[in-house]
Amino acid sequence: MKVIGVVPAFKEETRIVNVLRAYLAYFDEIVVVDDGSSDRTAEVARMERVHVLRHAINRGQGASLRTGTLAALKLGADVIVHVDADGQHDPKDLPNLIKPILEGQADVVLGSRFLGVEATGMPLLRRCVLKAGRWFNILALGIPKKVTDPQNGLRAMTAEAARRIDFHQDGKAHASEILRCVTRSGLRWVEIPAHIIYTQDSLNKAGTNRTSDAFRIAWHLFIGVFTK
Amino acid sequence: MLIQILLVLGFVLALWITWKRYRQDVITLIEALGWSVLCVGGGVISLLPKLTEYLAAIFGVGRGVDLILYAAVAIQFFLIFKLFVSHEKTERLLTKLVQNGALKDLSFRPEEQERWSGEILVNQDSSTRHTPSE
Ligand SMILES: Nc1nc2c(ncn2[C@@H]2O[C@H](COP(=O)(O)OP(=O)(O)OP(=O)(O)O)[C@@H](O)[C@H]2O)c(=O)[nH]1
Ligand SMILES: [Mg+2]
Repeated sequence: MKVIGVVPAFKEETRIVNVLRAYLAYFDEIVVVDDGSSDRTAEVARMERVHVLRHAINRGQGASLRTGTLAALKLGADVIVHVDADGQHDPKDLPNLIKPILEGQADVVLGSRFLGVEATGMPLLRRCVLKAGRWFNILALGIPKKVTDPQNGLRAMTAEAARRIDFHQDGKAHASEILRCVTRSGLRWVEIPAHIIYTQDSLNKAGTNRTSDAFRIAWHLFIGVFTK
Repeated sequence: MLIQILLVLGFVLALWITWKRYRQDVITLIEALGWSVLCVGGGVISLLPKLTEYLAAIFGVGRGVDLILYAAVAIQFFLIFKLFVSHEKTERLLTKLVQNGALKDLSFRPEEQERWSGEILVNQDSSTRHTPSE
């Protein structure tokens, strides 16, 4: 079984090296997608034992994940894992994430911040926005209530599942789009607890305002309905 | 009134351009007819503003001008929405292009692969492994 990690990265030059080194122990190969960063993200990533692809201009996390997933399929992955470049995901969760797939019990495994393992340093406002977002996913998108953390970026899937999950949202709306596809396609999915780490560094990341992100996601999902 | 003359002239000009474009094969007959209806309608309303009062009464809106404003807002809403959707389509096409460009770089990079496996072997059993130069 060839397990390939897909790591989208946008302006992560200061974080990505340590993150990649920690991931290397868990993956056979890693595909980093530098999302048109203006910093040295691609250059520092190229120093590591990973494939580095580069978007000529910034296209968003969803677009980067799709590029990386296509690349992983081309590289002959059996299992594909989506994982962030900013060190918010705990590498120690990776074996648990991949296990249900290796044991043939699931096609898709999703990480969740709300299954018992407390996130480190999560601001209260973020928690509220995530909870509200979950209800939006349930009511507006018909995502099953069983999914406790629809906005989580940590997921693993079989190559077959990756081929079947057809997602086109370029930004953060990809998470809901993927979930909708997974929960309606007959793929076997399971959620596992994941430890997410919020640091001052991650919260201050340039050009990010997560509360307005929530509205942007809803808007993109709405417009996406009319875009084919 | 001057405003009426200007409006009618504007609509006549638009009508003329529309049919010119049709003869140039730029737009289809259906499109030309559609625009013509709008231009003629606009011209008639400019000349006989009282007409809108009857229409307003039919729709149950107070004044004729209000009806025009409501209609204008609805049409603009629709057009802006279409613009958003077509913008999203363009964005997705752009993404596709950027992705294809990025994926082209996915060489399976034999020289890189060699470097990696070399490193791994050197790291793992440097004691037993012979490098080619030896
Ligand atoms: N913000 C952002 N991240 C991108 C983009 N393209 C790729 N990414 C990567 O996507 C991953 C997640 O992005 P974050 O901005 O940390 O989003 P998040 O982790 O879901 O949200 P937080 O919990 O607030 O950090 C990171 O590895 C980014 O480097 C982009 O255009 N914008
Ligand atoms: Mg993050």
